[in-house]
Amino acid sequence: MTINKVNTHIVPIEFEYHAPGSLDEAVGLLERYGEEAQILAGGTDLIPQMKQRKAEPKHVVNIKRIPGLACIEETPDGFRIGALAKLRAVELSPQIKEKIPLLSEAAQSIGSVQIRNLGTIGGNICNASPSADMATPLLVLDATVHIYGRDGAKTCSIAEFFQGGGDINLGRGEFVTGFTVPFPPVGAGSAFEKVGWTTFDIATVNVAAVVTLKGGKIDHCSIALGACSPAPVRGVLAEAALIGKEPSAEALEEAVEFIAACVEPRERWRRAPPEYRRRSSKALAMDALSRAIERARRFP
Amino acid sequence: MFASDMSLPNMLYGRVLKSAHSHARVKAMDVAGAEAMGAVTLTPDEVPDVVYCPRLVSIPEATYRDWRVLTDKPRYVGEPIGAVAAESEEEAQRALEAVEVEYEVLGASFDALDAMRPEAEAIHERIYLEDDLLDVESNVGCALDITEGDPKALEDADVVIERTYRTNRRYHNQLEPKSVLVRPEPDGGVSIWSTTQTIHNTRLLIHDIYGIPVGKIRVYKVALGGSFGSSIHVNPVVNIAVGLALKSGRPVKMSYTREEDIRDHCSYQMIFKLKLGANRDGKLAGGRLEAYLDIGAHQIQAYPLLGCVVGWWVSLYKLPYVEYTGKAVYTNKVPSCAFRGYGNPQITWVVETMMDELAGELGVDPLDFRLNNYIGEGDLFWGQGPSVKSIIRSCGVEEILTKGAEMVDWYNRPKAGAQTGRFRRGWGVGRGYHTSSAGAPVPSSIVDFGGAMLKMNEDGTFDYVSALMDHGCGTQDAHVKIVAEELCVPVEKVNIIKADTGTTIYDVCTHASRGVYSGGGAALKVAGKVKTQIREFAGRILDAYPHAVRIRYDEEGDRTVVYAEGIEGREVTYREVAETARHKNWGTVSALESYRQPSCPPHFTGYFIEVEVDTWTGKVKPLRVVAGADIGTVINPLLAAGQVHGGMAQGWSMSLLEDTPYDPETGDLVNGGSIANYKVPTSNDLLDLDDFTVFFADTYEPTGPFGAKGLGEGALNPVAGTVANAIQDALGVRFFELPITPIKVLEALREKEG
Ligand SMILES: Cc1cc2nc3c(=O)[nH]c(=O)nc-3n(C[C@H](O)[C@H](O)[C@H](O)COP(=O)(O)OP(=O)(O)OC[C@H]3O[C@@H](n4cnc5c(N)ncnc54)[C@H](O)[C@@H]3O)c2cc1C
Repeated sequence: MTINKVNTHIVPIEFEYHAPGSLDEAVGLLERYGEEAQILAGGTDLIPQMKQRKAEPKHVVNIKRIPGLACIEETPDGFRIGALAKLRAVELSPQIKEKIPLLSEAAQSIGSVQIRNLGTIGGNICNASPSADMATPLLVLDATVHIYGRDGAKTCSIAEFFQGGGDINLGRGEFVTGFTVPFPPVGAGSAFEKVGWTTFDIATVNVAAVVTLKGGKIDHCSIALGACSPAPVRGVLAEAALIGKEPSAEALEEAVEFIAACVEPRERWRRAPPEYRRRSSKALAMDALSRAIERARRFP
Repeated sequence: MFASDMSLPNMLYGRVLKSAHSHARVKAMDVAGAEAMGAVTLTPDEVPDVVYCPRLVSIPEATYRDWRVLTDKPRYVGEPIGAVAAESEEEAQRALEAVEVEYEVLGASFDALDAMRPEAEAIHERIYLEDDLLDVESNVGCALDITEGDPKALEDADVVIERTYRTNRRYHNQLEPKSVLVRPEPDGGVSIWSTTQTIHNTRLLIHDIYGIPVGKIRVYKVALGGSFGSSIHVNPVVNIAVGLALKSGRPVKMSYTREEDIRDHCSYQMIFKLKLGANRDGKLAGGRLEAYLDIGAHQIQAYPLLGCVVGWWVSLYKLPYVEYTGKAVYTNKVPSCAFRGYGNPQITWVVETMMDELAGELGVDPLDFRLNNYIGEGDLFWGQGPSVKSIIRSCGVEEILTKGAEMVDWYNRPKAGAQTGRFRRGWGVGRGYHTSSAGAPVPSSIVDFGGAMLKMNEDGTFDYVSALMDHGCGTQDAHVKIVAEELCVPVEKVNIIKADTGTTIYDVCTHASRGVYSGGGAALKVAGKVKTQIREFAGRILDAYPHAVRIRYDEEGDRTVVYAEGIEGREVTYREVAETARHKNWGTVSALESYRQPSCPPHFTGYFIEVEVDTWTGKVKPLRVVAGADIGTVINPLLAAGQVHGGMAQGWSMSLLEDTPYDPETGDLVNGGSIANYKVPTSNDLLDLDDFTVFFADTYEPTGPFGAKGLGEGALNPVAGTVANAIQDALGVRFFELPITPIKVLEALREKEG
C-alpha cells in the first residue's frame, strides 16, 4: 500500500528534467527515453499523478520552450490551435467565441480559472481521460490531430486518435503539436452540457452537439458523449435518427432513446454506476440537442 | 500568519509514518535506513507510555482515554505509528519511505452495527476512565440510557411512526490542514505554535503526556485557518511534533498534507432508530430513540456526545415521554470528532424529517405542527446534555416561523406530489437551535468558563488580552465591540494583543457557539470593572462621586470624557485620567477576570428552502432560501448573516454531497484521501444572493453580553432536514440516508415510477 508514499504537497519521486527548444530535440529525447519519458505541458494532470505516484517518469520533457505551439489561428478551413494553447485562451479568444462557440463553452466548463490558466488543450486530449471536456467538441467537429515524430509531421482524425482505456494513437517519440478544428456548417447551432457533482468537478457525463436546419428539418447533426464509454464516442444512432426529421419534441425523445445503446459505462468506475451514466447521458443529450436546435433556429 | 506558514532557524521538517492497515499489530519497525540518511526518527516505544484523551473539555469522570502519541496497534489506515524529521520535506519523505514495518494484520469493522456483532474483532480490549481500566464489550466504547416520563403517553398515541436513519461521515474540509511548530527551550520546556481552538488545553495535554511543568510549556495563539470543531481536541500531530523536538533538540515543524488531514478527523456518523408518537390534538406524545454513534478508532468526545444527542433531541419539541439508549461504537475508521453542530445537524435532520411525516399523518400543516410543539421561553432546556440544564429566557421561534412563512407565502405554496415533468419543485421548512456555550447555574460534567484581561493605556486607549481563539469568524471583533460599547470608545481604541498561555488566564475553548456569549461575557465583565476604576479615578480628579459621574464620547475631539453633569468645568478625558493615575502613582486601570455564564441559551434558527429536482440527472438545485435566526442582540449584522450563508452551504453539502465511505478490501477511504474526490459546493452551486434572505428576530437574551447569544452552529443545524423536506415535497419520496446524491435520487425515482 502506498499510504506513506502519496501526497499532494511535494513531488516525492526523483526524475530528470528536460526542456527541449525545438520539435526535433523533443523527438530525440522522447525516442531515447521511450516509456521512461513523459511530456509536461501545463502539468495539471501530470503533476498530481506524479505526486500520487500514478505516474513515475524518470524523464520529464517540458515542451513549453518549443516556439509556436501555443497558437490560435484562423485559417480558411477552421482554427489551427496549438497543443500548448491554454484552456483559458481557447475560452476567451473572441474569434473562437464568434466562429466556434462550442469550443469556448467547453473550455469554460473546465476546473477553475487557475486550472485553465495552466492547463492546455493538448494536455486535455493527450491525458486520454474519457471525461476530458475538450474531447467531445473536437469529436463532433471532426477535428484533425497534428502529430510530430521522427519522420516529421503527420495527421490523424480525432476519432482515430482515441483508442479507449486511456490509450491514444501515438508511437514512440511522437507527440501532438496541435489541432485543426473545422468550422461547423453554416447556420449551425451547438451546445455543450456537463454533469458533475459540483460545478468544480470533472464530468460524470459530458455531451457536445452540433445541428443545422434546412427547410424546417434537421440537416446535419453530430453528437458526442464523454465519460460514459472507455473513450469519448459519437452518438451515431441518435444522429441518424434525427437527420431529415423536424426538430419536434417527439423526434428528440425518440432519438435520445438510442443514446443508451451508444455508450458503454464501466462497472468499476467508482464515481457513478453504469445505470446512472446511461440515464444522465440521455438527459444531457436531450439538453444539448435542444439547445443546439434552439440556436440553429436563430439563423435567418 | 498561520502555523503552516511559520518557520524557525535550524528547523527540521517532520512527517508521520502512517499505518497501511486498518487493524494490525506492528511486530517490527526498522528505522536504520532513515537514520542512515540523517533523519531523526520516533517509534512507539520512544514516546511516553501515557494513555490520554486529546480533548480536555469534560471533567475526568466523563473522559474516556484510549490514545497514545504513537501506537504499535494501529486501528485505522493512516493512524500514526512513527515519525521522522529531516532537513527538508523531501528528505523527510525519503526517510519515511526508508522505514520498514512488519505488521500482523487483524480483522476490521467498517460499520458500527457490524462492529457490535460477537464475532467482530475487538478494536480496544481495555480503556481508561480516571484510574479505572475498563473492559470494552462488543466494541461499545461507552453508552448512555435515559428515560423520563410515563411510557403510556407514547403507547396510547394516536399516530406513531418508527424509522431507521443513517447519516454521512463528513470531513471538515477546513482550509488549513493541521500544522504545528515546536521549539524546545533551554529550560527543558517547549514553545508551541499550532492549529488549535484552545491554547490552554494544548498546554495541559502536553503536560499530561510529557510531564513538562505547565509553566514551561508556552502555547502561542496563531491565526486559525478554519476548523469547524476539528481542533477542539489537541490534534495528534502536535503531540508527535513535541516528541520529535524533544528527541532532536531542534525546532520541528509538521504540516499535514491534505491526504493526511482527511485521514485525521471527520464527523460522527450516526445510525438512528426513532419512534415518535403524536395525538389528534396536534401535540407530540413521546418518543423513543436508539442512537449508534460510529466513533471510529478512538474516543475524542463520544461520551459527552451521547448526552448531547439526547439533549438536542428532547430540547427541540416537548415530549411527555422520552426513552433514549445511546451507544458509541468503535470502528476501524478515522476517529470522529466534533463538527459544527456536534451531532445536532444529524438528529435535527431526523426529527425534522419525521415531524413532516407526522404532520402529514395528522393532516396538519407541518409549520403549525412545529409551532404547536416547540420548546421556548420559560421551558427547561438541556441541549448540552442531561448535566447542563437551564431555563430559556429568550425565544424567537414563533417570530422566525411566522415571519418566514409570510415572506415565502407558505400557506399558499403549490400542493406537493402533483408534479410529473422532468423538473419538479418543492418547498421545505425546518427549524432548530444550538446552545450558546455550555454554561449552567450549577457545575456540570463540561468545563465552560473563560477569562480576559483589559488595561487602560497611558493615552486612554485599551489593550485586550484573552486566550480565546478566533476561527476567522470575527469572534474577537465582537469582543472589541462589546468592550468599546461598555467603555464609550470607538472600536479603534481597543487593541487585541497577541497572547499565549503564559500571558493569559484560562479559557476552555472556542467551541459550542460560545465565542460571543461566553467569551464576550468575560470581555464585558473586565470592561465593567475597568469602567468602575475609571469612575473612581475620575471622581478623585473631579472631586465628584464615582457612581454619579457620567461618560460620553466626544466625536469632535475624538476623546472620551468623564464628567459631572450640569457642573461646569468638572470634565476629564480618559487620557487625563490615565496620565494622572501614573503621575500620582495610583496604578494602572486594569482588570483580570474569569467568567462563567449561568446558562447556555439556545439560539434558534428556521429555514424555508425551495429546491428544483432534475428527475433525469438526479441533481437538486436550490432556488430560494429564507432563513431566520434568533441570536439575541446582533452584534455584527454582516458577519452574522455570513454565518447563516455558511451554515446553508455546509448544510446543503451535508444533505447532498459529502461522505467518506471505506473500501473494505483495502480498509482505506474510497476517496483515497484525495480532496479532488471529496466534493463540496462552490458559490456557483449555491444561490444567487438575491434569492437568499436572512432576517433576525427581535429578541434580547438577559444573560448575554448586551443581549447577545451565539449563532455559528444553529445556522447549520436545520438545513439538512429542511432540504430533505423540500425534496420530499418535490418528488413525494423520502430519503432515510444521507447524503441524498443524484445517484440515489435516480434510483428512488426508478423504484417509484419505473
Ligand atoms: C482541480 C482540477 C480540476 C480539473 N477540472 C477538469 C475539468 O473540469 N475537465 C477536464 O477535462 N479536465 C479537468 N482537469 C484536468 C486537467 O486540468 C486538464 O485535462 C488539462 O487540460 C490538462 O492539460 P495540461 O497542459 O495541464 O496537461 P499535462 O498535465 O501537462 O499533461 C497531461 C498528459 O498529457 C501528456 N501531454 C501533454 N501535452 C502533450 C502533447 N502535446 N503531446 C503528447 N502528450 C502530451 C502528458 O505527458 C500527460 O500525460 C482538472 C484538473 C485539476 C487539477
